[in-house]
Order: sequence, then C-alpha cells, then structure tokens
Amino acid sequence: MDLSPPPQNSQNENFLVVDIERFRGPLDLLLHLIRQQDIDIFEIPISKITRQFLSALTDIGENQINNAGEFMEMAANLLRIKAQMLLPSSVVSEDEDPRAELVYRLLEYEQIQEIKAHLSLAESQRSRQFGKGYVVPRSQRAKKETVLETQWHEVYDAAASMVVPSMDFVEHRVTTRLVAMEDKVDLILLTLQNLKRVRFSKLLEPFESKMHGVMTFLASLELARNRKVKLRQTEKFSELWMYRYVENIPVEVDTNSGEE
Amino acid sequence: MRATQIVEAVLFSSDAPVNAEEIARADDSLNEDVVEKAIKELGRIYEESERAFEIKSLGGGYQIITLPVYATYLDRFDTVAKSSRLSGPALETLAIIAYRQPIGRIDIEYVRGVSSAGVVRTLQDRELVDVVGRGEGLGRPLLYGTTNKFLEHFGFSKIEDLPRKDDLPVVLKGENITEAMPENTEVGSSQKNQTSSNKNRETENDLPVSPSLAD
Repeated sequence: MDLSPPPQNSQNENFLVVDIERFRGPLDLLLHLIRQQDIDIFEIPISKITRQFLSALTDIGENQINNAGEFMEMAANLLRIKAQMLLPSSVVSEDEDPRAELVYRLLEYEQIQEIKAHLSLAESQRSRQFGKGYVVPRSQRAKKETVLETQWHEVYDAAASMVVPSMDFVEHRVTTRLVAMEDKVDLILLTLQNLKRVRFSKLLEPFESKMHGVMTFLASLELARNRKVKLRQTEKFSELWMYRYVENIPVEVDTNSGEE
Repeated sequence: MRATQIVEAVLFSSDAPVNAEEIARADDSLNEDVVEKAIKELGRIYEESERAFEIKSLGGGYQIITLPVYATYLDRFDTVAKSSRLSGPALETLAIIAYRQPIGRIDIEYVRGVSSAGVVRTLQDRELVDVVGRGEGLGRPLLYGTTNKFLEHFGFSKIEDLPRKDDLPVVLKGENITEAMPENTEVGSSQKNQTSSNKNRETENDLPVSPSLAD
C-alpha cells in the first residue's frame, strides 16, 4: 500500500472555508473536509487534511472553548498518524495502515448519521398518529380575539404621537447599557415618594429614545414583582398607571381625573 | 361476552400500549393466542368499516391510535397528546445505543467524538434508554440499552424493525474493520422480554436485543 500522501492541490485548499461552529464535533468536521474534496476515505492524505483541520481550529471562538478539547484531541491523533506513516516500513508492519482506525471511526460515524436520519423519519411518521389522551390547554384566554373598538380620532391621535425617525444619516455604533434599568427603578421610586400614582407616559416625557420606554417598562415590571408598585390599566392599549404599593388596600382606578 | 369485545374494551380504555399477556388478565377465557387473534379480528373490522384509527403494535404492546391521514385535523387541537421531538444529538446518541447496546458512555463518546454525559442523561430521563448492566472494564462502567418506550416513540414493534446495518448505503468494509465490529448479540431470549409488561419496562431483563449487525 502506498502510504505517501498524494501531491497537494494547494489551489483547492484556498477555496476551503470552514465555519467551525457548524460542526457538532471533530468527526463531523473531518468528514466534511473529506467529502467536500471528494477524497477517497481509504486513501486520506493525512498531512493535507491535518493542515486544513488545524486551520479550521484557529477559528474556534471563546464561547466554543469547552468543545475545543475534543477538536484538539483529534488534531493530536492526526499528527500521530502522520508520524507513524513517516516511519520506515521496517518498523511498522507492511499491512497495517496507521489510518485504519480513523477510517473505521469515520465510516462508523457516517453510518450513525444514516441511522439517525432513519430514526428522525420514523419519529416524524409516528408523530402523525395519536393515542388517547387529553392535555389541559395552557390558556384559553390567549386564544380570545381582542375586539379593537376605535374611533377615527383615536387613530389620528395615535398616528400623530408617533415619533418620525430622522432621515439624517445615522452612524451605527454598538453601545451597551445606554439606559440602565436600575436608573429607571430609582426614578419610579423617587417619583412615587411624592405622588400616589403616576402615568407611565409621564415618566417618559423628558426622554426621546425608545430605549427609555423599554427600560422604564422593565423597571416597572420588576418593581411590581417585588411588590414595590402596583400597575393598573383600565383596558387594553390604554394608559398604564403606576401606584405606590400599599398592603392589602385595593387601588381604585380613576381615569377621569388628570395626573397629580 | 365475546373475547374480541373484551380485548377491544381493554385497548380502548388504555392510553399506552398494552401487551397480549396483560390483556389476557382481563378474563379467564383469554390467553395470549386468543388475544392476538382478537386483535387481528378487530384490525380487520376497523379497516373494513373505515374507522379513523387502527391497532398498532408498539414496543411489544398494542395501542389504538389514529391513522396518519387525520393528523392535519388533530394538529389544530392543543388538547391532543403529542410527544415532543428529539434533538439532533439525542437522535445520534440513540442511534448508537440502539445498534451497539449494551454500550457504555465512553464508547458512545468515542463513536460521536464529543462528550455525551448530558445527552445520555436526557435520554434516560425520557425513559428512552436505561441502564441494563455493567461492563467488565475499569470501574465497571454502566451500560445502556433502549427501552420499550424507545420503540413506542419511533413506532417500532420490536428492535428488529430498525433497518439492518448492512442495508444502509454506508457499509463498513475491509478486513481490519470487520474484525472490529461489535459481536452479534444473542437473539434467542428476545421474544419473551418483548412481551413483558409495560410496567416492568425499566427492569434489567427487559433489555431489547440489538438487530444483527454486519456479518
């Protein structure tokens, strides 16, 4: 058996783009490299494949570091096979290809993928047949249709209150935590020290960015969960009110009077 | 009361597969042969009268389930009991266990090339695999095998319903390779175990036998 790797096709390698995150493990990656280049699995050019395998490893991100060990083990394995192949044939017995075990693993892995596909098909066919049983529905309320009773002037008001996004050139820059939820928590608590209740939109008035609305809403949910405030809304899509939390005293909703 | 009706009543009232031995407990006039005959008879009646359901052999037991063609209608109800689909890694691990059982975690990981403790645990929690013994090696590792629930989940009657390895497009070949193939598991004791009660499906002697592997 000729153990020397066939001449390398470096042109081919340049086109090889491997997205390591796509692979479920070293065998998956190795098999992909072999299949993509139409390599005969019984005549794997170990040095070429090892080089490609190692270059794919450099892309492993920090979030993948847990899986990196498995890829590294395979890389070491490939290098060991290459080293064995370089030994003079008097040291290694003629009929024992150092690649045999790897070939077997790859074929077994590929076969398992076929069985897996077969199981997946069987599962999907089985899932079309149902036995007896009753599952309590999670929530019927979510299924109810919401009738939106709206008058024309309300639609007009809603449209008028929309913030038209600026058409100016916007430089896209990724920044984090422009608006902190903790600040909004403080703002709500501070406001409710002086007032018994406050409109949600009142808290947003000084700010422009949508992120303030999102964070204020999250803060109010958090405070409600911790029983610091109560949230009330008379009907869907109407103004949200925040009340100072008072133990066991139901808060009355009064939508007619303005805010304090 | 005719045997057929008694069998039908038992099947109708059950929401999981029941095996012939268990059904036969319903009446002194019944035995496994009578039950099997009654099930065939019922199957014929359902087919002739175009019922929306059939009696299917699942994991060694029998269950009345709807015909696949009605799935589109039943999909509209949240109240229909549906089983959740398995993830890719879970299917891959199950495939290995199904064909190589009894097999330890280390061997599973060797075939997959990735660590598999979590996924094996998930499969065990879903009762699709179970510990069926201990290996000879260092530390006497736990060995896993598939359960009747595995067969039910995929709609198989018995483990032999899975495709034979040498029927698959990729066949392991070469001299070194055949030697490395796992030993064929004894098939003799399978029949009795297949029909044992569903309640006992976790027990150790309920180990389904792997299909014959490439010779």
